[in-house]
Amino acid sequence: MKPRVTFGTAMLLMAAAAIMAFLPMILGGQWIKILTSAVCFSIAAAGAGFMYARLGMVSLAQVGLMGVGGWVVLRLNHGFDWPFEINLAIAAAVTTVFGWVLALPALRMRGLYLALITLMAASGLEIVFSTFRFPNGGEGFWGVLPSVAAPFRRPLLAQSDADYLRYVIGMLVLGFAVIEWHRQSAPGRAWAMIRRSEAAAMSSGVSVVYYKAWAFGLSGLLAGTAGGLLAGALGLLDPATFRASESIMLFALAVVGGARFWLGAVLAGVLYRVLPGLFNNWGWDADLTLVFFGAALLHALMTAPDGIAGQIHGLLRGRGGQKS
Amino acid sequence: MKSKQATFILAMGLACTLVAWGKPLAVIGLFVVSGMAVGSLYALGGVGLVVLYRTTGVLNFASGAMGAAGVMLAWQLGQWGWYEPMTWVAGLALATGLSLFYGRLIAPHLAARDTVVKAVATLGFALIVLGATSFVWDDDVRSFTLPSDQMAIRLLGLRVTVTRLIVFLTTVALVIGIWVYLEHTRMGLQMRALANDRHISSLIGVRILKVETIAWGMAGFIAGFTGLMFGDLVRLEPNIITFVVIPSIAAAICGRLDSLGMVLIGGLFIGVLESLLTLSPWLKSVRTVAPFVVAIAMLVLLQSGNRLLFGRDE
Repeated sequence: MKPRVTFGTAMLLMAAAAIMAFLPMILGGQWIKILTSAVCFSIAAAGAGFMYARLGMVSLAQVGLMGVGGWVVLRLNHGFDWPFEINLAIAAAVTTVFGWVLALPALRMRGLYLALITLMAASGLEIVFSTFRFPNGGEGFWGVLPSVAAPFRRPLLAQSDADYLRYVIGMLVLGFAVIEWHRQSAPGRAWAMIRRSEAAAMSSGVSVVYYKAWAFGLSGLLAGTAGGLLAGALGLLDPATFRASESIMLFALAVVGGARFWLGAVLAGVLYRVLPGLFNNWGWDADLTLVFFGAALLHALMTAPDGIAGQIHGLLRGRGGQKS
Repeated sequence: MKSKQATFILAMGLACTLVAWGKPLAVIGLFVVSGMAVGSLYALGGVGLVVLYRTTGVLNFASGAMGAAGVMLAWQLGQWGWYEPMTWVAGLALATGLSLFYGRLIAPHLAARDTVVKAVATLGFALIVLGATSFVWDDDVRSFTLPSDQMAIRLLGLRVTVTRLIVFLTTVALVIGIWVYLEHTRMGLQMRALANDRHISSLIGVRILKVETIAWGMAGFIAGFTGLMFGDLVRLEPNIITFVVIPSIAAAICGRLDSLGMVLIGGLFIGVLESLLTLSPWLKSVRTVAPFVVAIAMLVLLQSGNRLLFGRDE
């Protein structure tokens, strides 16, 4: 077990370093923007994916939580003179708490119940966002100006688009590291036990409620970070980005990509943001991506439970695809 | 469980009263009637979901997409000058056909999986149907009208079109009809048996595929009908009709995905509350949040006292 993890981690770090160094150099301006937002969604997908893979919990509010994170970052950016990192940290803290609040009624729920309560929350958030919109430098609590937007302060390290892409990739790697660290320490063991059997976990002294809430909080933290980073990438946010249907789509893609692997989250973000752009470039209707996503989701659920990433892992180890 | 239903009805009644407090009775009547119309649409969708969930354990996220495909086909045939009732039949047939296709060819592969996996799988099918529908019919302003839109009666001072009346009466009739069907026919008995335990039902000779096919057919038909009504009353756009399944789920939650009567009551209350919120100066702009807030409150209520689980979950 141990050496494989080290190998995977080493590969991840090397790949990330190579991508961070070279990718922004060879890409055109438009693609840098698309990739930056793809990486942001990868961070959120990592949160949804790990909840599904480790605990079997389906969260359909991940993009909604991203919206909350983005709202907080924009609000703080236009309200105060603090640096980006502090705003981002506060946003992540807020969505963590949001995740807990969402988890409260769901703590003793499992399966379908949980999926439905998050879906309801996502739909509610969608309406709140489209009613109050995102702050862009206006007066008052909601801070919305009718037309122009005030400037957004990016992190000092990453003022240009290419640097910002590197910054976001760094955050993604950090996110994976946090998940991996959890997986290998006490919470990971508790989650594994809960996944196997809640009754067994309870009887051996694992606090099911506590660790489930923890997972929710971690997933919310990742979503909030992702939303804040997306706000930084674009400078302003559009309510249409955070519809409930987008949360559903991102969850679907996290499963398609492979919820158990970090590569799966990367694939989810890429499929979510890059594929529609490619379809447009090739002159195909972007609606067809939906058909592709849907078919891929059914395929993943029926025959490839570890998704594309699982199949790649299987191939690399010469077993031609993994069986669950 | 009875006491929780009572609590729910009381709380909803109280919420509606609170919002409507101090307004003239005529105004309230107006909003209640228009709320009932929206609410019965939610309830209609919810009834279709619950019928299928009770029999097969599948919460069908794709029902909205099936209805959207149906109503778009009906619109297209209408544009080509088909005889109107034929277009409705074609729309209903397409929705039923899609439902049967999924129920017969895809759902059995997932029958042994968790409820939540089965529900997520229908999301995949919803994406396929939605993608195909919006590929065929690009974004455009369209409208779908039924002849019953022209006819109207007056109710509590509000002009109510016959279409809205049809939705309301159909929903009530469906709830009663399906209840009688499940309680008093042999097929209904087999459906309930299947819902309790698929495996044991098959051992004692219930024809599982046949029973499930009938349930999927019924659900598809209701989805198609809901789609037609939404296309007429709300908006004819595949994207919107597809995700109208979410407020329908909210109505279904009010009935614990189990009790058809409560789905009807829940759906109506949600519609009325949403409509009455228009009267409140602060909450007016976010009134469409009502279905989701009510559903979350209901979920919290259901799981209080440590007894959770939908009727047949687990």
